[in-house]
Amino acid sequence: MNVNEKFSGMRKGLLEFLVLQIIAAEKVYVADILKQLSATQFATQEGTLYPLLSKMRREGLLDYEWKESEAGPPRKYYKLTVKGREQLRDTLQYWTEINDTVKRLGQS
Amino acid sequence: MNKVITINLGGNAYQLEEGGFDLLRNCLETAAARLQNNPDRDEILSDIESAIGEKFRALLASHKTVVVAREVTDVIASMGPIEGGAEAGDRPEPGGPGPSRAASPENTATPKRLYRIYDGAMVSGVCNGLGAYLNIDPTLVRLAFVLLTIFWGMGVLVYVIMAFVVPEARSPQEKAAASGLPGTAQEFIRRAKEGYYEAIKNFQNPRAHRRWGRWFGPGMRASAYQWRYHWGSCGMPPAPHYEPWMGFALPFLSILSGAVMIAWLCALISLLATGKVLGLALPPNVPIWVAALLLCIAYGILTGSLKTARCLFWWPRGVMGRPPAPVVLAEAFIWLLVVGVLFLLASHFFPQLHTAVQAVPSILNQAKDDIHAWWNTK
Repeated sequence: MNVNEKFSGMRKGLLEFLVLQIIAAEKVYVADILKQLSATQFATQEGTLYPLLSKMRREGLLDYEWKESEAGPPRKYYKLTVKGREQLRDTLQYWTEINDTVKRLGQS
Repeated sequence: MNKVITINLGGNAYQLEEGGFDLLRNCLETAAARLQNNPDRDEILSDIESAIGEKFRALLASHKTVVVAREVTDVIASMGPIEGGAEAGDRPEPGGPGPSRAASPENTATPKRLYRIYDGAMVSGVCNGLGAYLNIDPTLVRLAFVLLTIFWGMGVLVYVIMAFVVPEARSPQEKAAASGLPGTAQEFIRRAKEGYYEAIKNFQNPRAHRRWGRWFGPGMRASAYQWRYHWGSCGMPPAPHYEPWMGFALPFLSILSGAVMIAWLCALISLLATGKVLGLALPPNVPIWVAALLLCIAYGILTGSLKTARCLFWWPRGVMGRPPAPVVLAEAFIWLLVVGVLFLLASHFFPQLHTAVQAVPSILNQAKDDIHAWWNTK
């Protein structure tokens, strides 16, 4: 079992964190998020992302608005709510702590 | 020329080939079933519909107004499996299938069940279902049945029994359970790829027709022969004139053929489980499947002669080798029963047997690859 398979669960858990971070930077729609993720280890597909976004919206972390697109039907553009920003801040904090732990352990 | 169906995705009309429409409908039905307990079900479904619509739009232009089936396949594949059955914390569902979102696709695999799969079946989907269950190419299973019929005459009987006993996979969930995969879009694509549509396409192709003919002709002829052999002698009066020593020889022959069968099974199981025939290692350049095939052929030759001898003693001269049909059938049923019970007992007491059975699909796949490579080198 290689590292990539081994940590698929961890990547799934982190996906929400990354989506928060992407949406925090600018208003995006799903194809933008997929494109940004596609170049990373976290590459994912609509089948995973839509349920995640719906769940996050239900939890009040993000909201969306409809925007006209140049060609075709209007698209959902996502943005963070206040609660979403708080969550992102907490997660970042927590992530830094985890990182420190990983680096520190076994070094002494 | 294909029929075109117009559909509405997120408030826009798209024209799809009929095959593509079926694929898409299957995909969306599966998604809906998987999201059954998800509180955001309707929203997710409408999002997915819109996303599919957008991808279709990108494929179309003023001179191309219809989405063909292959493109639908590609688009569905690019969507990935629909995850997000009800999460553990949201709505507990006692014993329900809904896998949690956090689990990886390998873990969410629904428990496998043996079904007959009618899509892409040649006769009644038994081989198709077995192939899906064992995760090997259904063509190999069909081949195994044909070989079984030619060498032992058992294939047809086993097939008929399975056709009656094994349930048919009807709903998308059952179809998914037949191959142990979660009911994902990709699963439908896989099925569509090797199943129904392929068969329809090939049917207009006379070369493919001939190829199927070559493939199945021998099997058909063999079963026709079996049929005549079993039933043709119905009503023919047996000639019961024994010589006493034949009656004495008969049980010994039966015991001998039983012993040969047990030895063969042991050799086969030890070969599959450990790669050695009863402790003897194979020569290094002989793959396991070749050894297994040789074992089967050796067994066939040995029991063939024993069988002939038994038939000879049973019905001496005149109607040599032709016991009446009820006897043959009863023998076959008893044989099946004994093998089944033995197998159950054995797999209960000897874990090696379990290992051996589990090794079969990979060895068959290995055989397929080897033959494929050999074919390509020609």
